[in-house]
Amino acid sequence: MKVTFPHMGNIYLAAKALFDGLEVEYVIPPYNSKSALEIGSLHSPEEMCLPFKLMMGNYIQALNQGADTIIIVGSCGPCRFGEYAELQMKLLNKAGFHADFIAIDAPSDIGIKELFRRLNILTKNSSKNKFEKIQVLYDAIKIMNLIDEIEELAHKYTGYERNKGTCKTILNNCKAEAIKCNNPKEMIQLLKSYKAKLNHIAIDINKDPLKIAIIGEIYTVIEPFTNLYIEEKLMDYEVSTKRSLSPSWWVKNTALVPLKINSLDIRKASKRYLPLYIGGHARECIGEAVMALEDGFDGAIQIFPMGCMPEIVSKSILPTISKDHDFPIMSLVVDEMTSEAGFVTRIEAFVDLIERRRENELSRH
Amino acid sequence: MKIGIPKGLLYYKYHVFLETYFKEIGAEIVVSPDTNKEILDLGVKYCVDEACLPIKIFHGHVAKIKDEVDIILIPRVMQLKEKEYICPKFCGLPEMVFNSIPNMPKAITNPIYANNNTKLYKWAIDAGKYITDDINLIFNSFNRALIKQSAHKTGIRNENFEINIALSGHPYNIYENFTNMNIVEKLNKSGVGVITEEYLSDDLKNINVKKLYKKPFWTFLRENYGFTTYEALEKKVDGIIYLSSFACGIDSVVTELIKDEIGDFPFLILKIDEQTGEAGLDTRIEAFVDMLERRQENESDIPSHG
Ligand code: SF4
Ligand code: SF4
Repeated sequence: MKVTFPHMGNIYLAAKALFDGLEVEYVIPPYNSKSALEIGSLHSPEEMCLPFKLMMGNYIQALNQGADTIIIVGSCGPCRFGEYAELQMKLLNKAGFHADFIAIDAPSDIGIKELFRRLNILTKNSSKNKFEKIQVLYDAIKIMNLIDEIEELAHKYTGYERNKGTCKTILNNCKAEAIKCNNPKEMIQLLKSYKAKLNHIAIDINKDPLKIAIIGEIYTVIEPFTNLYIEEKLMDYEVSTKRSLSPSWWVKNTALVPLKINSLDIRKASKRYLPLYIGGHARECIGEAVMALEDGFDGAIQIFPMGCMPEIVSKSILPTISKDHDFPIMSLVVDEMTSEAGFVTRIEAFVDLIERRRENELSRH
Repeated sequence: MKIGIPKGLLYYKYHVFLETYFKEIGAEIVVSPDTNKEILDLGVKYCVDEACLPIKIFHGHVAKIKDEVDIILIPRVMQLKEKEYICPKFCGLPEMVFNSIPNMPKAITNPIYANNNTKLYKWAIDAGKYITDDINLIFNSFNRALIKQSAHKTGIRNENFEINIALSGHPYNIYENFTNMNIVEKLNKSGVGVITEEYLSDDLKNINVKKLYKKPFWTFLRENYGFTTYEALEKKVDGIIYLSSFACGIDSVVTELIKDEIGDFPFLILKIDEQTGEAGLDTRIEAFVDMLERRQENESDIPSHG
């Protein structure tokens, strides 16, 4: 058995550690790229949303590299994502790819027993005992959290660094090194050292950088290829960014849903504009926009794939928030056709806009 | 009190219930006119660009009547069946409308969980409060509205046609003749009978649905997938026409699953948006009907006993 899984931000690091730890063979699909998207689009219905197509690309590229078992992530709320697995399995079969599927669904849908049965298929070839398996799982989650924290720090400190580019270099080195680790413990050590490094860079606390919140559809905000590496670009402009949606946020949120104590801050902040969960992460998007303005951010950028149903609802609400609070919000829709040039122009124009607003404000005082 | 009811989206399925209920509790009802060019234009003007046509049209209906009424109904339908969901845009419909159309009157936006009558009754109380305090009146009106709705048969089943097709798609695409350009009439005129999903029982719909790896969580997917695949695999009809909204996330999944199940059974997907031209639509329908006719002739040429 050779397992593979779809990309989503840095999740491949945790997955790598998990399989290394379990001593299960795996293939990490090539990073998302034009060719992954092309292959994926070729085998996807035209009007499917972008994440679907990229995941198809990941699966096919991994199968071509020898993977034979695909971990497919199932439902998470009333949106198309919940039907991804069904359709992807059918399309792959039809296209002549032979693979086994392990569909991971929320336990509330399939029952905890069934979930464990499915997970067991994954670990049955592992020579590790039950205790060791749990330890490995624990380590993988730790890795996921660590890399999310590192990213968050880098995106934040980038506006305060004394030497331009420090944060970006540390972040990129960190990822490049982490992928070379061969066991979970080693990776945890490495990540910890990078986190410490970030916490000790030379910063200028007198700086007051521009701050932008990145909000929108979860896959396209997390997966840098889809948003044309917007966070990295903003780092180049020395803008601090914050994005609340991350794999670790998702895991925590999902775990807390049955208790109804998930994301209390988001619920509170979104109440006035979108009082209910409507599917996808529309409510998070609205809540984060409100939280960003309350926290003194200079603006927010919403990103979502073409045709994304919940984010279209958010997009109609955001202008009101923007108007009510005089808070700049820009919406960027991404799809296969998004041109890099047009995208960069819009980002630059937005940064310019908030910069000028700052200056005006200062000159008024 | 004048209450406005926009003639868009699920109005086509539940108008009997809504109209009866509000009339009985003593409101004066203003229903927007059938969709027309003006309503479409209003919708396109106010609604976010990225939205699908049915949502834009709904905005148009609201904009059309909002100034004539004291209060307007924007049904926030959350669920129709237990453990099944519907499109996120229904759940966020009031927010979309309120943030897109200026100078809105008061509105009834309470969430509608139509999956059980207790929950629906709760909606009736919340919505009725805007009109009357008389809880007995609310209770009786609610029951009468339910009875009337269930006695009201929706759906199409033409009889005595040589060629028949299953017509599938969102109710607002099937029953709104402005956007579908009178498709049922057109088909009838070319000698094609139509049957819709309402005429197939849930049990029969579920036959193929059960074969899916995952239980579908959209009510719409279960119904339309179950209906079309049953009609096709049991050869109850000669072809399927699916009216799909351009950029509808749900349609993109449903049509693909149907395709996968029915193999080379005749299947025509008509995508509608504000740019759809009547001539183009006609050509595609004609070509499809021609093909069905030819198939029928060919089939009758084959002798039934070797
Ligand atoms: S939230 Fe948007 S991108 Fe995600 S499945 Fe739904 S429509 Fe697709
Ligand atoms: S189900 Fe499709 S057509 Fe209907 S509102 Fe949602 S996206 Fe639009």
